[in-house]
Parts: sequence; structure tokens; C-alpha cells
Amino acid sequence: MANQESDKFVTITVDGITARVPPGTLVIEAARQIGVMIPHFCYHPKLAPDANCRMCLVEIEKIPKLQTSCSTPVAEGMVVKSSVPNVEEARKSVLEFILANHPLDCPVCDQGGRCDLQDFSHEYTPTTGRFKELKRIFPKEYFSPLIETQMNRCIQCLRCVRYCDQVMDVQALAPSGRGTMTEIKHFSIHELDCEFCGGCVQICPVGAITSRLSMYDFRPWMLKRADTICTYCGDGCQITIQTKDNELIEVNSTHGAGRNNGDLCPRGYFGYHASVHADRLNHPLIRQQDGTYAEVTWEDALELIAERFSQIKLAHGADAFGGLITSRCTNEELYLFQKFMRVVLGTNRIDSSARYGHINGIQALRRVQGTHRWTVTYEDIVAADTLLLVGTNITETNPITGLKVKEAVKKQGAALITIESLLPIRGTISNITTLASHHVPVHPDYFGLAVLGLIKSVLEQGLATASLSERAPTFVQSIRSAVGKVPWETVERHLGLGRDTFVEAARTFSQAKRVIILAGQGVLRAPQGSDVVTNLLDLLILTGHHGRPGCGLGTLAEENNDQGAVEMGAVAEYLPGPSELGDQTARKNLSKIWGDEIPQSPGATLMDMLEEARTGRLKAMFIVGENPVATLPPQAKVEESLDGLEFLVCQELFLTETAKRAHVVLPACSYAEKDGTFTNTEGCVQSVRRAMEPIGESRPDWEVFSALSLLMGNPIEYGEAKEIFKEIRSAISGYGLLGPSATPPRIKDEVVDRYLQEGFKTDVEVRYAFEQENTQPDEMLTLASVQSLFHSGKFSTRAKGLLQIQASGFLNVNPVDATRLGLADGDPVRLSNTRGEATTKVKLLDRVPVGVAFFPEHFDQNIRGLFSLETDPQTRVPYFKLTRVRVDRMQEEIPGKG
Amino acid sequence: MKFRDWIKTITFYEILLGMKETIKHLVHYKPITLQYPHEKKPLAENYRGMLALLRYDDGTEKCVGCDLCEAACPSRVIRVISTEVPGEPTKRYAKEYYMDMTRCLFCGLCVQACPVDALGMTREYEWAVYDKRKLHLNKEQLLAIGDRAFPVREKQLEFQHPNVAYFNVSFKDIPEKAN
Amino acid sequence: MLLEKHQELITELLSRYPVKRSALLPLLNLAQREEGYVSEAAMKEIAKILDLTPPQVYETATFYTMLNLKPIGKFHIQICKSIMCGLVGSDDLIQWLQNRLGIRVGQTTGDRLFTLSAVECLGSCGTAPMMQINDDYYEQLTAEKVGRVLEDLRREGTSPLKSGPFMFPQPAGSR
Repeated sequence: MANQESDKFVTITVDGITARVPPGTLVIEAARQIGVMIPHFCYHPKLAPDANCRMCLVEIEKIPKLQTSCSTPVAEGMVVKSSVPNVEEARKSVLEFILANHPLDCPVCDQGGRCDLQDFSHEYTPTTGRFKELKRIFPKEYFSPLIETQMNRCIQCLRCVRYCDQVMDVQALAPSGRGTMTEIKHFSIHELDCEFCGGCVQICPVGAITSRLSMYDFRPWMLKRADTICTYCGDGCQITIQTKDNELIEVNSTHGAGRNNGDLCPRGYFGYHASVHADRLNHPLIRQQDGTYAEVTWEDALELIAERFSQIKLAHGADAFGGLITSRCTNEELYLFQKFMRVVLGTNRIDSSARYGHINGIQALRRVQGTHRWTVTYEDIVAADTLLLVGTNITETNPITGLKVKEAVKKQGAALITIESLLPIRGTISNITTLASHHVPVHPDYFGLAVLGLIKSVLEQGLATASLSERAPTFVQSIRSAVGKVPWETVERHLGLGRDTFVEAARTFSQAKRVIILAGQGVLRAPQGSDVVTNLLDLLILTGHHGRPGCGLGTLAEENNDQGAVEMGAVAEYLPGPSELGDQTARKNLSKIWGDEIPQSPGATLMDMLEEARTGRLKAMFIVGENPVATLPPQAKVEESLDGLEFLVCQELFLTETAKRAHVVLPACSYAEKDGTFTNTEGCVQSVRRAMEPIGESRPDWEVFSALSLLMGNPIEYGEAKEIFKEIRSAISGYGLLGPSATPPRIKDEVVDRYLQEGFKTDVEVRYAFEQENTQPDEMLTLASVQSLFHSGKFSTRAKGLLQIQASGFLNVNPVDATRLGLADGDPVRLSNTRGEATTKVKLLDRVPVGVAFFPEHFDQNIRGLFSLETDPQTRVPYFKLTRVRVDRMQEEIPGKG
Repeated sequence: MKFRDWIKTITFYEILLGMKETIKHLVHYKPITLQYPHEKKPLAENYRGMLALLRYDDGTEKCVGCDLCEAACPSRVIRVISTEVPGEPTKRYAKEYYMDMTRCLFCGLCVQACPVDALGMTREYEWAVYDKRKLHLNKEQLLAIGDRAFPVREKQLEFQHPNVAYFNVSFKDIPEKAN
Repeated sequence: MLLEKHQELITELLSRYPVKRSALLPLLNLAQREEGYVSEAAMKEIAKILDLTPPQVYETATFYTMLNLKPIGKFHIQICKSIMCGLVGSDDLIQWLQNRLGIRVGQTTGDRLFTLSAVECLGSCGTAPMMQINDDYYEQLTAEKVGRVLEDLRREGTSPLKSGPFMFPQPAGSR
């Protein structure tokens, strides 16, 4: 025992305190654990030690000279002294050298008050320096609209450069020059062009790199902090919103906090102004006869809604109602919304924006393994030895999950297989495919085919696990015969890649111990999304990884609470849990808790509701935060549907395209103004906390549902959001605890067995069939509406910071295509196909695949009309992200876009 | 003893003794009370009177809007709203500066806290007003007080020492912070 | 542009190293030989060839003082200012050159013929003071000798007074 322990731990004494730490721990970390803070600038736990600032020098017995504690690993019996005269003297000298050039403009520096250099100077130096010489002065250059550099303050610790490289894999910052004139720059005198993750701002120990967005607006001690969760993607990053007198000042994230460990993306770091946009609705609005809106009191608005809802219910029955809610709402609100719809209005016609794709993944997971959440966590991603990314530009859609993948690849040496349309070309916006050990470049239409190719290769090479052939021989056999029907020639014709491409990838995948598959929007929001996810699970089962610890499949959510929306039952087919709508035990349990019956009628999905509204079956809709008019392409005829309604209530932050058709518009609170919880894509439930008072008369959504239920004579009342959460936990058995880490569910073996014996049979032929013959004429490009790194949905297009990085949509095309079509950077182009035409501008981007053009979905107002609309026959997910267009250069300039 | 006490009692000795000072002052009359509006007491050298904002010799405000006075103030007299100087990117100044003199206890901590000596304590003390709101002073009023109380102004900071030449200066070639 | 022109050389350079990035300095050198200085376009191209980002190339290019980031004249006069040459009067020589050419150290003459830089030891202390013009050494200089060199260069483009080139290793592909 003693032996074993000494193998695992070494004894170290710091300033007379002895502790046992794992070998390999750095002295500075060991000291921190003991409680001795060794001053440092260049060291950061996230970064590899650089030992360039020399601030962390300590005396180690038996080593004649002082050592940098940030780069010295502990050794058995090491005795470290950090507060002996020797060390103090060294610190003084180091600081004196740093201060020889530091301008000491602390009063006007935004870092003043939370600056390491300030703190250490106060602690370790006399107040006067001996340097009389002139300080080093850099000519100031414009750096970027959002990040400000003041290089005179720089202490050249290179934390920013190393963060940019090691953590973000962006390499947009570089130290230029040498010696004392080393300066952090982008590329020569060019303006910074990078991911704008804000990491350099956060990690700078002094004020050399600061946020220009909040420059000079505050002093650190004035700020009130609230830890909450970012709402711009499914990653669920913890952010600290800092306010001064109810005014949003800045957002940051503490190292070690939340699932993101203090790392953020541009949306999280610079996107916070969307909540305080001047267009926020301040009062409830009622549409007048002439179509204008009148500001009214909450009482008037709610009474009108209650009255009209009651009338419609009386006249047309409960199923004349439809409800649609955005998954940007908190769990509490989603839960209460479905409860309101089910209990007060008495209908199951509810849907949420999880319908746009996330439901595809959930249905596949439920079908194959009986879980609705990931069976893995972010920690598992980091620990994985092989990662398979399918159809996800992860660094742009889910940047923080992307960071975990980067960490696994860069620090842990994991193998990465990417099936993605991007080309592996490096730039100052990171590109996950450049890290891939096996990259399968695929046209966005054919992710499914590429997965099929991988499975085919696994089976052909005999890499399927042997035990499976005993457990479920028919399963293996039918997949083998199904994939056999798609010859390699077909694969090669469509992907341009043959058998050889997959051989190595299949081998790496099969032989790995810890395998994680991540499926992104390219899969989930494209036709057959659910099938491809099921196939990926088949792949895990075939290679024997399914159910092994640290192995599993994750689907990446686009909206912050897509996962929560499904779990709260705010979708047509599920009750909270999620349990099937027809699940009798769940119904009984819920009706006991709710004290009311759950309606028997079937649910209706978004597309069905719109259809019913058009035919006049649906009379009234309650839309919360969702904007189908601006999301779905015109051929969905959303406007027609909504205009046909007798009564439409919208609860919104802004007067959106959808809200403009409503009879009553209610002002809701943004995430910064309310309490609750979000469930991130990996299934971690995290607290959202109010950072500021509600703007105007806006109220949190749940309060509105509660008030409406009261007026409609069926009160569902709660004192605060926490009470709803309590009810959720009683309604859903085994609902995860709130906590810093996710507690992933285990796969249900009986479900897997059922699937392997019988379940797969229903559609195995269909799932592995390939009949798509989308030929693309030469003059056409595939237009894909994709998510940009700098925006999320339409909400972020109201954030002034993000607009400074990206203010409008550009058609990103490969230079090869551009040359072929005679286009140059910035050219105005006309996009056209049978559905219509639109104009935009071209921006060349190396990483866009040839034959494909990307357009950010956040600015798709004009081009939306070009997309086809297809509804999944099973999951009823509307697909409208891909189309084919002709691209022509326009002779004349686009007016007003110059 | 008894006899002496008795003599003292009948001659009102104690009273006479007490009256001695009174009579002395009665004879050599020299008033101690100042006839305030007409006569004023000479102020001590470091008298801490009304606060004022100062300017440099070229008329620019010294204040850089660093909020340190606000932080130092024990009675929350000061409120500073700082921002970038319009037209002079990256230079910081106090867009608005308020002092609620009804609460000020003239401790002088703000003056000590100021890194650019933009605050001064004048020798003015005659600030009685009928309306308390008149004691809520804004930046213009405070600068005006400074102008009349400190006619001799300092040189610009960068001319005082070359090492502070880049302390809070503007850079013309840089676009202003967007709002 | 670099890649098109020196396809083979670049392939050869890349094959020398196990890690692509190691070929950065040879490529920067190549770019400098091509245009006399390392242009931004060249840095971007090198970044693309080596799978780096332009800032990473810029970082290296700014670190090495022998890489010029600005266009230089036809003849790059690098005069040694280290201690050995200093002891035998390189300071005077630099002054003399500045006066003669009418430029300061670091500048280029108006006719874009000469660029003057003062550099650290060039390893020819035995024959100090010395200077290097492009690839050639000129040693045991005197003002009169430098004057002749300048005249020769102006007239002929080369000077018999040179004692080079001693570049080591030989520039790739020059043999």
C-alpha cells in the first residue's frame, strides 16, 4: 500500500508545509494547493509553461540557483522556499525591470484594479524605481474594432500568443520584433482578423490588451457580477455578466468556471449587447383596427388574451390552439409553457425550435440506446483517443465543444476523423479539419453517404467486433447486405473519394479504446438526419464501442436549450421527461402532480400546425420568442398561415417579423434579466441568474404563463423560478442535479437489445440505401445556409459588438470557383434558381469546398427564398439549409449596400 | 480655619476672585467674537475649503476620469462618468462629473487620490445656499471654481517629464470607439 | 508566385525537414533573394505553403534582423559596428558613408541604389573594419577604399575590391 502510494505521489515541502502531490505537478501548482501563492505573469494553468517572466523564481534546496517554479516539476523530497530574502530580492529585480518600461498609466487603464502587475508591485517593490531613462514607446497602431492594444503596457509574457495558439488553435497573434521591443501584433500593420474569442483580453495579466467595447466605461470595483449561462449556442458556457448601475458593461468567464473552463467565443464575449438593444419591447402591445400597435398595460393585454383564448376554446375546442416556443427560454419556462398549453388550454399542439434539427438526434438516441442525452461528457471528449466529427464545422457552430476537441487532439494526442465539407486549410479563424488525422472532405449533401462508406469499410476490413455476431447475427448481416447494395463506385462518384480514403479512418476508429462521435448541424438539419445519427450509432455498435465507458455519440445543439426543450416536453411528441405522449405511467404521474388531466389528442409539430392554420383548423397560436416567418423559407407560407389565424399572441424581445402579425405582443425578458436553468448540449443543467433588472415593463416568460393561467381560471402559480424547477424535478424521475459537471445517463441495455433483435429491421434497408442522384450542373453552386462563428440565430444580429465583426452576409466561395465564374473578392452577384433570385456580395474563402458556397443564415433575409423546403416524413423536421443556385456577377452595384 | 472661612464668606471673596477676570476684561475691552460678514478669520495655510476641478495652462481639463476620487470618497460625494474624448481616440476623460457637496466632509481624500492633481481644495467656504440642490455641482461649476481659485496653472503633464509623454494621449489615426 | 517560380526548390527544401514549419527560414531567405526583401505577399504565400498563419511567419521575419521587411536598394551595404571594427574606426566610416550617400543608417538612397545598415559582427574581425555589400565582403576599409567601391558599384555593378562571397552554406541551388 505504502509503496503504491509513493508511486503515485511525491512529497514536497513549500515554506515549511509538506504535502503530497502527483508526480509531474509543477512546483507553482503544488504551492497553490498548499496555499502559497507564488507571484507569476507568464504562467497560466491552461498553457504550457514558458518561464519567460522570471517572476516565479523560488529557492529549491540542493539547487544552487533560483528556479522558475512554473516550469519545474516536483520531485520527491523537494524543499521549496518562496519567501526567503534571496527570492524576495529576485522578485524585486524582476519587477524593477518590468516597471522600467511599464508606463504606469493605471488611472486610465481598464485593467487598473484587477491587474497582476499592480498587485505584485504593491506587494513586492519599493514605490520608487532607479531607472531614469526614457521608457520604451511603441507607435500606436489600430488593432481592431473590438480589441484594443496598448503595447507600452505590455510585459511580454506572451500569454495571449500562447493562448491563441495552444488553446484556440488560431495563431492570430504573434510577438514581432525582439528583445524589449517585442510587440504583440497580428500581421504587420493589418487590422486584427481572427476569431475574436476575447481570450487574449481575458488572459492578459496587465492592460496591454483590453476590450474596446467597454473601454473606459467602468472601473473594476464598480461592477456587480452575476454568473449565468450564455445563450448563443448549445455549449452552455458559464459567463459572468458584469453590470454597473443596471447597465451591461462586460462579460467574462473565470478560469475553472462552468463547463467552458473560462474559455469563450466571440458570441459569448462580445455579443452581450443584444439584450439591451434599443428596439427591445418595453410595453405590451395590442394591434388596432388600422394595423398599428397601441401600448397598453399588462392587465389589459392579459385580459384580452384570456378572454379571446376562452372564447376560442369554447367555440372550437382545445385543439384549435397551437403553441410554439423558442429553445432559448429557460427549462422552467419551457416546462411551464407546455403545462399551460396542456392543462389550461388543453392541447398537445406544442412545438419548439428543437424541431429544426435537434429532435432528429434525440429520436435516434432514444430509439437505439434509450437515452435522450449524451452518454459522454466534455471530459470524455478530452480523454478520448479517437474522435469522429460528422457534418459539423464545430469551431464555428459550437466553439467550446470545439475547444474540447482541440484539447483532445493537441494536448492528449487523440486521433481526429472529420467528415466535413470544409477543406483543411489553415487561417486565422480556426478550422477543425486542419487538426484531423483523417479528413474526409464531403459535399454537404452526402454526409450520410460518407458515414455509409465508413461503415462499409469497417465491415469489409472485418473490423466489426466478434462478439456482436453472436449477440445479434441478423443485425450485422442485414447491415452488411444493406451497405453491400451501395457499391464503392457510387460512393466514389458522389464523394470523389473511394475505398482507400476510408481504410485508414475505419481502422483508427475501430482500434481506438475511447471513441466519441459528434454529429453536427450538417447531419441534424439535413434530410435523413435521424437516419444518419442512427447509422452512426450502428457504427459504434458494430465496432463494439457502444456502451463502453468514455465512448458514445453526441449531437451538437444549435440553441442553448434545445436539449431542455425536448426534456421539458415542449415538443409535439413528448411529455416532460421526455416520455412518449402515449406513455400511460408518465401520464398518470404527471396528472397527479399537475392535478389535472393531460389531453388525449395527438400533438402537432411546427409544420403541421402551420398547415392546419392554413386550412383553418387551427384558430389561435401562442408563439413565444420564436420567429418562423424569418426562419422558414417563403414557400412554407408562414405568413399566410399566421394571417389566417383568429388570434395570435407573440411573446417577444423585439417586434420581429412574426410578432408584427400578432394581435397581442407581450414584452419578454432576455436571459440576462431572469432566473432559471439551461440544459446544454451534453445534458448539464446549469443555473441562469438575473444580472440586471428587466428592461421597461418586460417580464420573464414564466410569469406571463402563470398570470394568464390565473386569468383563465386555472391557476398555475409559483413564487419564483426555483419553485418550477422543484416541480420539474418531481415530475421527471432521475432529473440531473444542478452542478458543475454533467451526470450522463447510462445506455439502457434492454433498449439496445430490443433494437439489435427487432428494432433495426423496420428501416435498415432505407437507412443504408442511397438513391440520391443530385447532379449539379457546372454553372450551379450548392448554396448552404450555415451558422457563422460571429452570430447565433437572429438574436445576435442586434449585438453591436458582433456587428462590428460581421455586419452582413457574404457569399463565401472557393477561389477556384470564383475564377471559374469570373468573380473577384467583393463582387456583387446575383443568385438565382427556379425559386427566385437574390443579390449579395462575394467573399473568397479558401476553406469552402469547390462547388459549394456558404452563406451565413443570420443574414438570409434576401436569399431565403432560394431554398427548397422538405419535411422529414418521420421526425417532421423542416429542412431548408441547402439548395443549388446559379451565381452571376452583377454589372451594377447593389444599391444601398456599397 | 473657621475664622478665615467666615471672613471669606462675608466679603464674597470667591465671587470677587471670579469677577476679577470679568472686571479685567471690562476695563481692557478687546472683542474675541469676529463680526463675521464684516470681519474674516485668517485661514490656516492648508485650509480645506470648497473642492474644485483644475485645468492645465493651456486650458484643457486635467481630469482623466479615472474614478479614483469616487473610490476614495468616504461619503460618496463624487460621481464620475468617464469615456473617450470625442475626436481624440483612446484618450480618457470625465464626460460628466458630479459632486454632492451637501455630503462632503472636506477630508481631502479625493485630492490625495487624484493621480493627475486635477482636484484642488480652494480656500472658499462661503457656500451657504437657500436651496440644497444648488450644492449638487456639475463639472462646469467645479471647473469654474477652479478657474477663479487657482489662477496659476500647471504645465501639461507631458511637458513636466518625458516619461509620461504617453500618459492618456490621443491617437489621431485610430477610429473612435463605436457606440 | 514564389511557389510557381521555385516549385522544385521548395519541394526540396520541404523534404529536408521532418516538420514542415522548419522550412520557414530557408523560404524567407528565398523570398528575400527573390525580391531583395520579404514582402507581405511572400509571407502570406509562405504561410500557405507551410500550413501556418501569416502572423506566425511575420513573427519569425521580424525576429531576424537580416531579413528586410522593406524594399531595399540594389546594393545593401551592411557595415560592421561591433567592437573590433569599432576599435579601428568603423564609427568614422559609418559617418563618412552617411555623408557620402546623404542618408542615415537604415535608409535607402533616392536612386534606390544603396541601402545602408549597421550590423553586428560579421566574423571578419582580423580584417576590420569591414562591410558586406550584398554577398561580398570588403575588408580593411578606408574612406578612400569605400569611395572606390561605391564608384565601382555605381558604374559597373561590381567591384574588384571585394573578397567574397563567403556565404556558408552555399545558397541553395547556386552550385
